[in-house]
Amino acid sequence: MTQTQRPGHEVDPKLLEILVCPLTKGPLDYDRARQELVSRSARLAYPIRDGIPIMLADEARRLDESEIKR
Amino acid sequence: MSHPARPGHEGHVSAQFSPQAQAYVASEVHAKGADLAALAARLAGAGVGRLLDLGCGGGHVSFTAAPHVGAVVAYDLSAEMLAAVAGEAAARGLANIETVRGVAEELPFPDASFDVVVSRYSAHHWRDLGAGLRQARRVVKPAGTVIFMDVVAPPTPLLDTFVQSIELLRDTSHVRDYSVAQWTAAAEVAGLVLKGVETRRLKLEFASWIARMKTPPVLAAAIRALEESASGPVRDYFEIEPDGTFTLDTASLVFAPA
Repeated sequence: MTQTQRPGHEVDPKLLEILVCPLTKGPLDYDRARQELVSRSARLAYPIRDGIPIMLADEARRLDESEIKR
Repeated sequence: MSHPARPGHEGHVSAQFSPQAQAYVASEVHAKGADLAALAARLAGAGVGRLLDLGCGGGHVSFTAAPHVGAVVAYDLSAEMLAAVAGEAAARGLANIETVRGVAEELPFPDASFDVVVSRYSAHHWRDLGAGLRQARRVVKPAGTVIFMDVVAPPTPLLDTFVQSIELLRDTSHVRDYSVAQWTAAAEVAGLVLKGVETRRLKLEFASWIARMKTPPVLAAAIRALEESASGPVRDYFEIEPDGTFTLDTASLVFAPA
């Protein structure tokens, strides 16, 4: 409750717990290094920019085959 | 004309509002209101855990709710609006507001994940009201509450057509102001039962209403021409004043899952 979100700050872990893929409602894996939320079920990686998860398929990166198998 | 790439509807909405994010945070029309006071009274002491501000815009539902609930998720299509909301939340010392970007019709939250879902001045922009309502129904808990606050259309076609027309001229991403009857019917199909409705009148001062959206002069002039040529019943209902200022209907509709 003491953490204030500012540009560049990380996403609150409590928020990550309640985010799912908007297309499949499947779970998301948090890739901290890339600042992405990965939906294997939709084969998409949703970006986090300035601490704001962007849950739009149009803005997501399509996963390649190696990432899906991993 | 100003959108050579012809964006989809959501892109158009975002393009209309993003440059004006700070104007909506600062807007008195949006920041004040008996509807927000009523919302605060409803939430105070109610033990609400998590609240979703669906289509948060300038964030006024989030700022109103944050002191009374455990956590707020401010959700909007516009990155600039969310950045402005996060900045204003920090300035006000509201540490329990998180921001997420997306569309109303595809919510990135699990079923039954919010105690309360509130949406204010947003649904009239949605491409698909039914889909947005179904999503609100999906993410609210079975014992939860869904509250929609928006401009509502009068029940007669004469008055309805006028309000839709001036709304579209002012904001070309406008979709529809629904009547209370239309809201109730659409919500019922989505599995939401109306528990209460409060209607209010909202006076919109013409110059600031136009300035907030940066409506092009040709469209603002068309609104004035429509107002000037409106029939007596229309002028009376909307209380059209010499400078173009007018008054319309708003409603707070409270729903519970069926």
